Amino acid sequence: MSIGDARIRIPDRISRGDLITVNAIISHPMDTGFFRTPEGQPIPAFFVKDVVVTYGDEEVARFVWTSGVSKDPIVSFTLKADREAPLTLTWTDNRGSVYRRAADVAFASA
Amino acid sequence: MASESSSRRSFLRRCAVAGAGLFGSGTLLHGERLLALQRPSLGPGDPEVPNEAVAKILKDLFGDRPIRKGHLSLDMPLVAEDGRIVPVIIESDLPMTPANYVKAVHLIVDHNPDPHLAAYYLTPALGSVALQTRIKMKRTTWCRAICETSTGDVWGAYAHVNVSLNGCG
Repeated sequence: MSIGDARIRIPDRISRGDLITVNAIISHPMDTGFFRTPEGQPIPAFFVKDVVVTYGDEEVARFVWTSGVSKDPIVSFTLKADREAPLTLTWTDNRGSVYRRAADVAFASA
Repeated sequence: MASESSSRRSFLRRCAVAGAGLFGSGTLLHGERLLALQRPSLGPGDPEVPNEAVAKILKDLFGDRPIRKGHLSLDMPLVAEDGRIVPVIIESDLPMTPANYVKAVHLIVDHNPDPHLAAYYLTPALGSVALQTRIKMKRTTWCRAICETSTGDVWGAYAHVNVSLNGCG
């Protein structure tokens, strides 16, 4: 996986009003800036500093991270599925790169 | 006669009360001693007495509001073999209604280079507080999860994690 590859997992079947668990992972080195390469060169800090969760047009959560979060950071949270709308996660790292993924919250027709 | 007997009675009563008080304080002291025996970590390393950096973070975030224990659970392993990947689960039974919800959860690891490791800002649309992630830890220390509700209450949960391998370089 290259830097910025991300996945969002939500349940396959969702009914209106369900409390669903959202799992998300992004491939990122999360370098702290304290390590060195085998040649002795310092590895500069490079980490995801901010994750924004939007559901439809509404911002429902924002996570502020430091380099203390593990490499290839995962995050899991719940969401009250009360309408059909895309769920978007936007990761921003400390070099200004923005990574965005979306998952469609759609209700099962049953 | 009547007044004399009543004064005598009240004197006896006072004696009884004083005796009960002495006895009560004795048992309390004994209880505290037992508690101290059960918790050998009481001291600078106890989560109630944070180090300077953590004290400053707590002060900046919550001011002088008391951080009460409860309504929040911080689930972390007792022993983390690899400090680079330490799983964290934060859950709460607090309501998530527009009138009263958890607006922020802060994760603080006492002896990390940056103790204020992560902040999760939430809204009622999430329905509940159930966060999971993985963090890095430098060494054996206390971790704190502290949440703030929209009404201004502050709740905390603590976990002591033994770290075998430094994950922060």
